[in-house]
Amino acid sequence: MVLRPIGEIVTARTTDGRLGWPVMLLLFILVLCPLGAVIVQVLLPGIFFGSLKFGDWRILLEIAQRPLWQKSLENSVLLASGTTVFATALGGTLAIVRATRAFPTARLLDAAVWVLIITPSFILSQGWVMFAAPKGLAFSMFGSHGVSSFVFSPAGLIAVMTLSKFPLAYLSVYSAMEWKVDSLSQAARLNGASPFTAWRTIQAPLLMPAVLAGAALVFMDTIGDFGLPASISAVYRFPTLPYSIYSAIYTSPIRFDMAGVLSFYLVLLIGAAMVLQFYAMRRSRYDFLNSRAERLVPKPSGKLALPLAAGNVLLLAVIFGIPIGTNIWMSFAKTASGGVKSGNWTLSNYASLFDDGQQLLRGLGHSLLIAAAAALIALLIGLGVAYVLTYSTFRHKRMIETISILTLAVPGVVLGIGYIFVWNQPWLERVGLLLYGTPWILVLASVAGAIPIITRMLVGAMAKVPAQLLTAAQLYGGSFFGRIRVILVPLIRGALLSAALAAFGSGVFDLAVNSILFPPNFLTLPVSINKAFEDLKFGYASAATVFGSAIVILIILVAELLLRRKEVKA
Amino acid sequence: MNSKMNGKTGIVGALLLLAIVSTACGNNDNGANGSAANGANASGTNANAAGTNAADATNAAANNAAAADTTATDATTNAAATNAAADAPAANKGTLTVYLNDFDDIVKPMFEEQTGYKLDVVSGNGAEIMSRIEAEKGNPHWDVVWMDAMPSIEGLDKQGELLTGWSPANASGLTDFAKSFVPTDNAYFPTGAHAAGVIVYNKNEIKAEDAPKSWKDFTDAKYKGMIGMADPAVAAPAYPFVSWFFQDQGMDAGKSYFSSLLKNGLHVYPKNPNVVEALSGGEIKVAALQESNAYVMKNGGEPIEIVWPQDGAPASVRVAAIQKDTKNAEAAKAFVEFLLDPKTQQALVDKGDESYFEPSVAGAKPKADREANAKLVVAKADWASDNEAEIKQWFSDQSVK
Repeated sequence: MVLRPIGEIVTARTTDGRLGWPVMLLLFILVLCPLGAVIVQVLLPGIFFGSLKFGDWRILLEIAQRPLWQKSLENSVLLASGTTVFATALGGTLAIVRATRAFPTARLLDAAVWVLIITPSFILSQGWVMFAAPKGLAFSMFGSHGVSSFVFSPAGLIAVMTLSKFPLAYLSVYSAMEWKVDSLSQAARLNGASPFTAWRTIQAPLLMPAVLAGAALVFMDTIGDFGLPASISAVYRFPTLPYSIYSAIYTSPIRFDMAGVLSFYLVLLIGAAMVLQFYAMRRSRYDFLNSRAERLVPKPSGKLALPLAAGNVLLLAVIFGIPIGTNIWMSFAKTASGGVKSGNWTLSNYASLFDDGQQLLRGLGHSLLIAAAAALIALLIGLGVAYVLTYSTFRHKRMIETISILTLAVPGVVLGIGYIFVWNQPWLERVGLLLYGTPWILVLASVAGAIPIITRMLVGAMAKVPAQLLTAAQLYGGSFFGRIRVILVPLIRGALLSAALAAFGSGVFDLAVNSILFPPNFLTLPVSINKAFEDLKFGYASAATVFGSAIVILIILVAELLLRRKEVKA
Repeated sequence: MNSKMNGKTGIVGALLLLAIVSTACGNNDNGANGSAANGANASGTNANAAGTNAADATNAAANNAAAADTTATDATTNAAATNAAADAPAANKGTLTVYLNDFDDIVKPMFEEQTGYKLDVVSGNGAEIMSRIEAEKGNPHWDVVWMDAMPSIEGLDKQGELLTGWSPANASGLTDFAKSFVPTDNAYFPTGAHAAGVIVYNKNEIKAEDAPKSWKDFTDAKYKGMIGMADPAVAAPAYPFVSWFFQDQGMDAGKSYFSSLLKNGLHVYPKNPNVVEALSGGEIKVAALQESNAYVMKNGGEPIEIVWPQDGAPASVRVAAIQKDTKNAEAAKAFVEFLLDPKTQQALVDKGDESYFEPSVAGAKPKADREANAKLVVAKADWASDNEAEIKQWFSDQSVK
């Protein structure tokens, strides 16, 4: 994602290079410390309990001996690679169509994408499982078992993951298509290229940074996902790395060292993925924006309008209808096995959301506040990170880039345990920083969780903005922050908004971090939903999810309306 | 941080720095209990602390109205207070922090009302709570842990984390069955036991006479591919279930029993709720299911029948233990006494979310619709604790085969 700086002006280096260290320090505190705290358990298991004993480093090599670890590594790589390929293709294609063509129902696609991004994977998997089970909704509606045998197979798992994770790729590409420079394609057309050739050789390649940013997000999110594969693969056993990590933590005595080793493998995998991406991007330039750039407005599709709308509706029926629709149905159903019969409908699940003395609403309020605070803080940090990655010649850019995406792939429970290690040390109490046991720890952890999504999206968008625009401003005496505020931010406004909203939406429902860090008596929405699920109150859990999602979607839509519409004043 | 270092040494250096800092600062000078000490900074959380207990909504029982009332009044009293320790004279008795995995919505108001202590609860699933306890070892935030995970709590006792040598007055009321679980050092006390697995089957798919009657029947080829259970490597209640087979039959026989189940197409799900979904979704027709889940399913109108096997249902025992360095020993002891009070256990049976269990004290009665001659069998806690890692690893390794 990072470009060779071109026409780099020496003065630009000094200020931009200076941003490198503060950004590094922030990432260090938020991501590397907690993660390192878990990984260090391999070598120094008693380090946070005041005993200095050395662990057995040979555990690092145990992957060679434990068939489960090997298998889960293979499965994770297979699942993540397969999902990345299909989800990036699907998300990218949809984004291009959506950005260039106007057709009826297009807005519904936007909404569906947001819903999928904010819905936690354990809820999505509930939807798929209830839909595809042999006696599930699909059977109740179509009376066939074909759906079930497909979904509960490795290929089906990749398909389900693809349909759940493609929004990350979609959003990344869509927000990068805010501006277009027609002169490039026009030059090609003048030289006799067909419209398709012009698209294939000019417009498509210029989307590369955004496509790769999306692909990276999909890969990380898939490889770190525990809930979806675990729920869907129970039938044919498909252990993944997160599964092995959980099984190391869920034994007693708890093996933090094993969780550390496995997390370390995850970090290596991510590092490898980032290196691959770097080599894919190295030879080209993508900063095509110039003074002739104009906003990309979807063109009327004419004859194509109807087929496009039909295809869109069909797509929505699958990606939204199955996982989310099943949950919506569940929230109105008396029993899961009652099918879609009229006698099985009820409003009691929704009524019960409000009859526990506002419990759930308070939890929702907490979650919204924490996610909003985290999204804003992470947006500032992400802006800094993306700036350093795109425009500076900071020496450790590779490292910053890798750290900035780690939290997406490392299971939240590992990060949460790391946060306890770091923020629960007795000496912090003396300096008033014992954050574990207060809601602040949730904000910190949510910021860490939000950084990858925000950074990737901004990097994808910034790749289009040439450094010369910023250096030109500098020559006219613009201050560093002035340049960012006046030139860069307006050019990537769309991506900034999408990134912040995506981080906010997914933060509201982030279960793994929440469930291990919440302070006493401090409820959050995902914890309440999960508790309802554990108590078999599936209807209530679905109703709480649907209700919470509706509120979050409403907030996102309002934010979009208020902020998206503001045209940049030239 | 020194700006000359390159990436690799940066990480190593940083970790070393972290190590030095954390060891230099020594361990366990546990000032005040963290969560209490920080209560005042927890901007605004205290104001509604009394109201925000992790109650999970839908206790249809009318008691909730009453509970909600007391919490509501509490909340108003508290709203004016700037910190947790200022609401009523009783609050001077201090705040107790309890880590538990069920019943939080019942015990909090009840205990606060009866004793005047303030109760902070952290409620989660068993594995998460144990992870928290383990990660907090250098600076524990909990005073009492109360969970249906006897082997894990036995493990805490082995590490010397628990208060020993104190026996609650109410322990005299323990039933003979419950007494057998009290360890010699009195580190924890049982508050009830429930079947970690009973046999359930879908009565629309299987006739009563064809249903399995004993655990041995699970190996019968006629149930091939029809049976499901929760994964001991991930689901907390599943370990007490499987450990009994291993202790009862011996390690090798246990392995061969579960191997034959796996050969018979056993479906292993991450957690009990997933087993319930698989049953109602028709993926499986028979299951080993935690008993409260089984009764909730049956009472919720799902077409299932429950069989208590002749050879006994492997049970999970819920026990309460006190942190050895607790700053609130009096409140902690009061809480254990409170849990061993027949009135408390009756309230858990009558109003709880995990209400199908056998109380540990005389004078409390289990649910009326619970099987009258439910036979529970329990793996010895120290044995189960010693072999936990091996058994769980064996199970997670099976997923590869």
